Amino acid sequence: MNENKLKAKDFITIGIFTALVFIVEYACGMLGFIHPYFIASYVILIPIVGSIPMMLFYTKVEKFGMITIMSVLIAIIMFVTGMGWLGAPLIIISGLIADLIAKKGGYKSFKMTALSHGVFCLWICANYFPVIVTADNYRKNLIDGGFSADYCDALFSVINAKTIAILLILCIVFGVVGAFVGKAVVRKHFEKAGIV
Amino acid sequence: MRKLELDPRTKLFMIFAMSMIVMVPAFSTLQMAIRIIVTVIPILLMMLEGKYAAAIRFAVLYAAALILQHYYLSVESRGVFSALITGYCSIVVQFMPAMITAWYAIRTTKIGDFMSAMQKMHIPDGVSISLAVVMRFFPTIKEEYENINDAMRMRGIAMGGGKVTKMIEYRLIPVMFSCVNIGDELSAAAVTRGLGAPIKRTSARELKLRAVDYATMAVFAVSTVLFMAAKNIG
Amino acid sequence: MININNVNFHYKGSKEAGLHDFSLDIKPGEAVLLCGASGCGKTTILRLINGLIPHYYKGELEGSINVNGKDVPNSELYDLASVVGTVFQNPRSQFFSVDTDGEITFGNENLGIEPKEIIRRKDEVVNELELGPLLGKSLFELSGGEKQKIACAGVSALMPEIMLLDEPSSNLDWKAIDELKEVIKYWKSKGKTIVISEHRLWYVKDIVDRVIFMKEGRIEHEWNSEEFDSLTTQDLSELGLRPTSVEEKYIKEFGQGIFSEDEDSDNSIKRYENGVTLKDMYFTYDMPKYFFRKKKLNAADSAQYTLAIPELELPRGKVIGLIGKNGAGKTTFLRCICGLEKDCTLKITSDGETVTGKKIVKKCYMVMQDVNHQLFTDSVRAEVMLSMDEEDKAKADKIISDLGLYGYEDTHPMALSGGQKQRVAIASALAANSEILLFDEPTSGLDRAHMMAVAEMLTGLAKDNRVIIVSTHDPELISLCCDYTLCIEKGRLKYLRECQ
Repeated sequence: MNENKLKAKDFITIGIFTALVFIVEYACGMLGFIHPYFIASYVILIPIVGSIPMMLFYTKVEKFGMITIMSVLIAIIMFVTGMGWLGAPLIIISGLIADLIAKKGGYKSFKMTALSHGVFCLWICANYFPVIVTADNYRKNLIDGGFSADYCDALFSVINAKTIAILLILCIVFGVVGAFVGKAVVRKHFEKAGIV
Repeated sequence: MRKLELDPRTKLFMIFAMSMIVMVPAFSTLQMAIRIIVTVIPILLMMLEGKYAAAIRFAVLYAAALILQHYYLSVESRGVFSALITGYCSIVVQFMPAMITAWYAIRTTKIGDFMSAMQKMHIPDGVSISLAVVMRFFPTIKEEYENINDAMRMRGIAMGGGKVTKMIEYRLIPVMFSCVNIGDELSAAAVTRGLGAPIKRTSARELKLRAVDYATMAVFAVSTVLFMAAKNIG
Repeated sequence: MININNVNFHYKGSKEAGLHDFSLDIKPGEAVLLCGASGCGKTTILRLINGLIPHYYKGELEGSINVNGKDVPNSELYDLASVVGTVFQNPRSQFFSVDTDGEITFGNENLGIEPKEIIRRKDEVVNELELGPLLGKSLFELSGGEKQKIACAGVSALMPEIMLLDEPSSNLDWKAIDELKEVIKYWKSKGKTIVISEHRLWYVKDIVDRVIFMKEGRIEHEWNSEEFDSLTTQDLSELGLRPTSVEEKYIKEFGQGIFSEDEDSDNSIKRYENGVTLKDMYFTYDMPKYFFRKKKLNAADSAQYTLAIPELELPRGKVIGLIGKNGAGKTTFLRCICGLEKDCTLKITSDGETVTGKKIVKKCYMVMQDVNHQLFTDSVRAEVMLSMDEEDKAKADKIISDLGLYGYEDTHPMALSGGQKQRVAIASALAANSEILLFDEPTSGLDRAHMMAVAEMLTGLAKDNRVIIVSTHDPELISLCCDYTLCIEKGRLKYLRECQ
């Protein structure tokens, strides 16, 4: 039997870690309810906090498909929870590329894993899609409603289409930084406890 | 009265159509009207399934945001406070329909039915198994987290001694240990019951699209097309 | 039905017990009990039969295993699924679905059985095991006993000829164990071959035909049911086994107050020298709510409360066993004492000082049933120091070595055994100077030797003038170490009395 094929146990592991990553996303998402400004901090918070389960996940399955399936699951959950399907291609493509990069390192090389995590973190940008797509519309509404253009620019400065490039880069950068944080935590707890 | 249960596939289609509608700004009255109609449908469906409290809550919130936005804020309001309110209202008016539909779909669908719908849509077993595990682990994580939180309170470390990193570490690490342990035992139990057999899985629930499903899908399809077309006309 | 021939097995990269030249034959329809200390290889044998070894747990395997004509090492797990069914120890971790219906049909769906047949099998199992009231519920709402019943149904629905049970009663109370016993009896009447691994012998002894006692991966003794029945408590305890008859006797004795409604309750307050007084212990899960503030709980409304104990004095330096029916309010009682229920109006008085509210948390500490939830740091020493107001390494090391954890100071708590983890949790309570120590089911799933160790530890902890309360379903533990029993019924104090 092919040892590199995903088995029942792996599917269960993928499910568990997807749930953990999504809980992190959800907890950070709560901040967005306080004020939409916090939404901008997703690109820093989610890669770093989420890296802790992710780095453990990388050591648990080590087979091609692990991250791709996770990204498909994230896309499905985001779709079903009403966050739209526009982000789905971004999520799945970054998952697939992240999987390929990790595979290149045999799921063992930390360099490749860190890079892979950076690319995987691009999925977080999918959170912004609905806002970005509709932002111009809000702005127009507000100006029509009598607000000054300056004020509206200030309000939407964090969420306009131009900043998407910056957000994408931030995701990768903090994804790689997060990989180091996550790795340190995994070493401190899970390796020491002997479960990795 | 018999409960009106729609097929999960119908609900997925509703979410799909709805997420298209919320993405495009509504300018004309016709578009606004369509958007309100498709928002009212899931609210009514919720009531038919007996979720009155939620239906009323959503209806009130949505109506309030609509009224505030149209009759109060857009005329001549200025200042930081109204800007904030405007921000919230436009988010609610814009995205609430999708949230309502999603809430309706999630709360009224059994996981088993959802899995069976995925099978019908030819989604690979690997994906649907993993997704079932995700659904099973959300409540598990909640349970474990509550216990861990209690333990933290007993030791007076709920605030992590004032350090944010500790606050996260003391919560996340024990949850992860628990999940990994439960996962190992769960995998062993699942494979002894045939999970992973190279056979197409079946489902005890046989789903069938009924007239009411086709009707609902038709309403949503027509609304979406009209909505998009109205944009080009107007 | 089951032939295990000259099997040698070692787990790969694990210290878990293996097997040495092990052979066992089990006839169709036979019910066999495997017993012996933890780590004697009972679980390993079950894993050989259901194929988890060598397909899931890796290791070096020699010898042959044949189950119902199938050569286990050369069969796939999914082929064995309809031949061998396994009920595991932990009801929390063995279910896959979220709802009861899905869990019962899960196995059949995996094997691609026709939907009509799945429904037929499900209905049959539901009928046989009387699960009607549990259908359509979320598994997360069920009690441990109910979950275990659904686990039995999920296995049964695959219609296997062989049923394996791996310490199935570990997390169950007396009533649930009784129901589990009925399920096993039913399987036996249907002619299924049954293998049970268990520490609690009293409930299985009438069911099994043969008892196998194991030690270090070998069969040490074998008895038929008459021979096993004739063993005295003395014989059993010499083998490190829990008694078969004593437990039943104790359940009758200690359970008396629980199972017979009419027994006089005695809630008069007794005074003890230097005792700790609990006052105004009122709590309810449905708080009466007003617009902005909650109504404070008080004695006048206490008739409807979940927990209402106006006054209770607890003796120091003694171990108090907490007993009561399932749902009697034992857990709520423990949660209130350690300050986890904020709305509880409890006042604790000791040494002339009265504390309420948040300060209660400082006085009390509970060792939870799943001790994994209360370990946070990356070493035993850090764990102990976390509980100190001012870090004192020397004191921490003293506490650690007093509890027999010397040499483990730098080990990660999660790398320790269950008993050691329990000790780490106790160490952190001692470091925080907690006067009242609570234990929630500290002996679930333990063998006799470990239970005696816990009993000894509890007695030792009480000596330092602490109040020790231990909630348990193991009557043997009460007989081993408790000086008092505290019985709670429907959230009210039934009695607190000295053990004879």
